Amino acid sequence: MFSMSDDTDPLMMLVWVIPIIIFVFYGQQIQLIVTSGEIKKAIKKLDKFRSDSKKELIDYVKINFNSNDDPTKKIEQFLDYFTIMPVDMDPNGIVDKVRHTVRSREDYTRNHIQSLSPNIDEIELNRVQTLLEIASSLQMIHKIVNHMFLTAKKQKNYPLILPLQMMLPFIMEHAKAMNASVPAFKAGQPLGDGIGPMVVGKMMLNEEKEIISFQTALAKINYEQRKLFLVKAKGPGSTVGRPDDALQKIVSNNKIDAIIMIDAALKMEGEDSASVARGFGAAIGGIGTEKFQIEQIAIENKIPVFSIVVKQSVKEAITLMTKEIADQADNVRSQVYEMIIENTVEGQSVVVIGVGNTAGVPQ
Amino acid sequence: MIFSKEETILAYTVEKCPKCEKLNRRAFSKGDVLFTSSSKCTFCDGIVVIEKIYGEILQR
Repeated sequence: MFSMSDDTDPLMMLVWVIPIIIFVFYGQQIQLIVTSGEIKKAIKKLDKFRSDSKKELIDYVKINFNSNDDPTKKIEQFLDYFTIMPVDMDPNGIVDKVRHTVRSREDYTRNHIQSLSPNIDEIELNRVQTLLEIASSLQMIHKIVNHMFLTAKKQKNYPLILPLQMMLPFIMEHAKAMNASVPAFKAGQPLGDGIGPMVVGKMMLNEEKEIISFQTALAKINYEQRKLFLVKAKGPGSTVGRPDDALQKIVSNNKIDAIIMIDAALKMEGEDSASVARGFGAAIGGIGTEKFQIEQIAIENKIPVFSIVVKQSVKEAITLMTKEIADQADNVRSQVYEMIIENTVEGQSVVVIGVGNTAGVPQ
Repeated sequence: MIFSKEETILAYTVEKCPKCEKLNRRAFSKGDVLFTSSSKCTFCDGIVVIEKIYGEILQR
């Protein structure tokens, strides 16, 4: 069939040879055109997520803030705000620098949201701040993906588009999850990430509470002749609090014998959603500064850190809590008590931290 | 894409009566917050407390 005998039809030969020549010289451009189609579709979706989240935010502010001024212009300004991370050529002290930059940004955003409506309550303020972060992140994702695509297209450089093509499914998964999280935040519903605060929040019910650090609640209880320091972000507003600062304060005034952290963790492909796992080390996500501080406190004071995590996907973590995750709350709580008994003796003190966004979860 | 189904998340609130331990599931309504007392128990004279709030995905 593929033999090139003398009796080969020249026309048929051209049919074979021409595409080969075309692919040799223009292969990359053809691949670029094919890949461009997929990326263009993704960029269109990202653009829709960006504009939808922005519209939802502006509408929410217009309805819930009794302001006479149109907030659109101010919100658009906030969305374009960027954060320049500190230089890391000399890593010494980088964590403090990152913490300072991130917290300055948070404080700035909070103050400016407050300027839109000075009488706004804390729950609404946190809600708008979260919606603003979502809209801002979606805008940034769209900008970066679009930039990479247009650069590759302008340079007619196929290899330049490859990293984008490889990363796009993961980027889209995150963007879709963020877009899907907006209704839950607006309604003040608990998220999958809120399983830690939900477990600790129930342990805190009917106990005396105090604010130990920024947007972070503490309750002290006794359990089987052990002293428990229960820490979680102050709900039901959308916040993760500052559990690292809370731990620092507790440790500086008390002798702590164990730290137990409860958090949501990203599940691996093939793992069951809402499965519970126990382990060692600080279970806390985010940019890494809080984890660093908790580890530092634990090392300096020689405190073992135990953790219990509830596995979930990115989407499950930031959208309305699923039934499977909610059903694990009692199981996790009993595992916390079990862990306390197993790892401490009577008279000792334990800090139990419910890590995660406490939207819709009071204490 | 022709095989992808549209997903809708339905939010539910589960209430539990601390007195008779009966559970009741209803659609989530605005203002529902975990661990708060919501209404009177339909089985006894207890006050039900919101035990869980969760979503179920409906595919169409």
